[in-house]
Amino acid sequence: MSELTGKERVKKLFKREPLDVMPCFSGQGAVVVQAIEKMGTQFAKIHTDARLMAESAITSARLFNMDGVVIPYDMAVVAEAMGRGISLYEDTEGIIYPTVPNKWKTLDEIDIPKDYMTRGRLPMVDEAFKIIKEEAPDLAVGAWVLGPFTLAGQIMELDILLKGLKKHKEQIANFLDEVTTITIDMCKHYEDLGVDFINVREMGSGTDLLSPRMWKTLIGPNLTKVFDSITKVPSVNHICGSTDMIIEMMHGCGADALSVDQKNNIVETRKKLGNDVLLFGNFDPYNTLTQLENVKDVENVIKECIDNGIDSVWPGCDIWPDIKQENMEAYVKTVREYGKKPSPAVGRL
Amino acid sequence: MSKQEEILAKLKEAVVEYEEDDCAAAAQEALDEGIDPMVAVMEGLAAGMEEVGVLFDTNEYFVPEVLMCADALYKGLDILRPHIKLDIDAPKASVVIGSIQGDVHDIGKNLVKMMFDVAGWDVYDLGRDVPLEEFVKKQLDVKSDVLAMSAMMTTTMMGMKKVIAMVKEKNPDCLIMLGGAPVTRDVANLFGADGYAESAGNAVSEGIKMIGRLREFQKGDIK
Repeated sequence: MSELTGKERVKKLFKREPLDVMPCFSGQGAVVVQAIEKMGTQFAKIHTDARLMAESAITSARLFNMDGVVIPYDMAVVAEAMGRGISLYEDTEGIIYPTVPNKWKTLDEIDIPKDYMTRGRLPMVDEAFKIIKEEAPDLAVGAWVLGPFTLAGQIMELDILLKGLKKHKEQIANFLDEVTTITIDMCKHYEDLGVDFINVREMGSGTDLLSPRMWKTLIGPNLTKVFDSITKVPSVNHICGSTDMIIEMMHGCGADALSVDQKNNIVETRKKLGNDVLLFGNFDPYNTLTQLENVKDVENVIKECIDNGIDSVWPGCDIWPDIKQENMEAYVKTVREYGKKPSPAVGRL
Repeated sequence: MSKQEEILAKLKEAVVEYEEDDCAAAAQEALDEGIDPMVAVMEGLAAGMEEVGVLFDTNEYFVPEVLMCADALYKGLDILRPHIKLDIDAPKASVVIGSIQGDVHDIGKNLVKMMFDVAGWDVYDLGRDVPLEEFVKKQLDVKSDVLAMSAMMTTTMMGMKKVIAMVKEKNPDCLIMLGGAPVTRDVANLFGADGYAESAGNAVSEGIKMIGRLREFQKGDIK
């Protein structure tokens, strides 16, 4: 039997069908400097040009034999489309992701344009998806969106939002309702573009910031609405930071898979959720791929993720693009070799 | 309970219960009763924040509560600080603080800043998304004792390494603190920094521990 393509492997994973080997892909940014250098471009330029975005994603995946790609790379796309501006750092040396310079400072100022979907870089991102689908039909194509709370923190000042959760509960709850519809619209839009999976990153909602009680009342219900709305493609519920206290509630939101970072105790999570749940994660991408001096140490990190009960080894956050080539190779190689055995939720052919 | 103890307890409680108006009222009462404003800051406001740190460490308080406690603390501090007598012969300690370029988050930075404000340092707050050269320029300009930088996201923290190298080259005595969610002690060591706070959360714990040390210092418990 011939080997599965990356796209086939990822699709089967989400259906929990037996696989030849564990897929190697991510729902977080996975563009690497080796690809950018090969293309002869710069990091600051791949966020604004559909061809450069698509090509850098495909080249990054091809260089390291990954099963899929995920775009866009920065979390400012929707806020920019709402008129909050964009800082691209084009004249700055090195790698800096675009950010939002002008967040709304009060709830009263917020005025979300109806046509935001056609503004800023969103049409360019659509074009990049089109290019990837045409030019890399063998790769799984992932889109990601910010969860409602994290998106709210991108369009208004985070400290005002956080304090508002306690001080102005009703107004903030209404605002989060409104932002939830935007996250849903983005998901539906990406579904219509024909992506293979959608990763919803509610990364600002771990218990490093919010109490489990607050999560239960203000985060969980909105995420449930988002996952209820994603009906055509598989979805992932990703939260970074501390998730041990909320993992069962995350599971209750209804995504097809959960993704967590290195702070999660996967062994315990498995015990809590059982073996049927798809679980992705959970290595520290910065330390593992850019800092470790010995590829044996990288192998051990990846093996530990698999031994603890992960179904697909995902970085806990965006891969810091300036990876060590040998570390990235060791990551993929270990997933392929050590991931030949079945994972808790997915068997092998 | 003496009148002074009663007012200090009010200040402390107002911080813990994040009651801004109560904190301002208690601070004014402290001044009216002739309580040394430095004592009111350290034994009232800072003591309250120490308790907030305990509540945070035990998962009773989370960041929203801590931010509101900090707001209450500042209400009191704004009233008390102008009345603190300065020793004109003693040089005032100073810090340059900011979030690194590419990082538009400043919660952690502001919590650490609070610690320096409580201690009465001269604080040069550069804000957020601060270009690297601005940190270096300001530090060399004011020759601060400490340079404190935060980066909440992995994607922005590499810039800190460059700033540290530039500052240490010209001013090796400057102490450098790093903070932010992705920064670990290993990273701080790797970059050549002198201290670190792991996250907005840890910035709370670390900042409060430093306040605790300041209070002990004030009482003469440590030299």
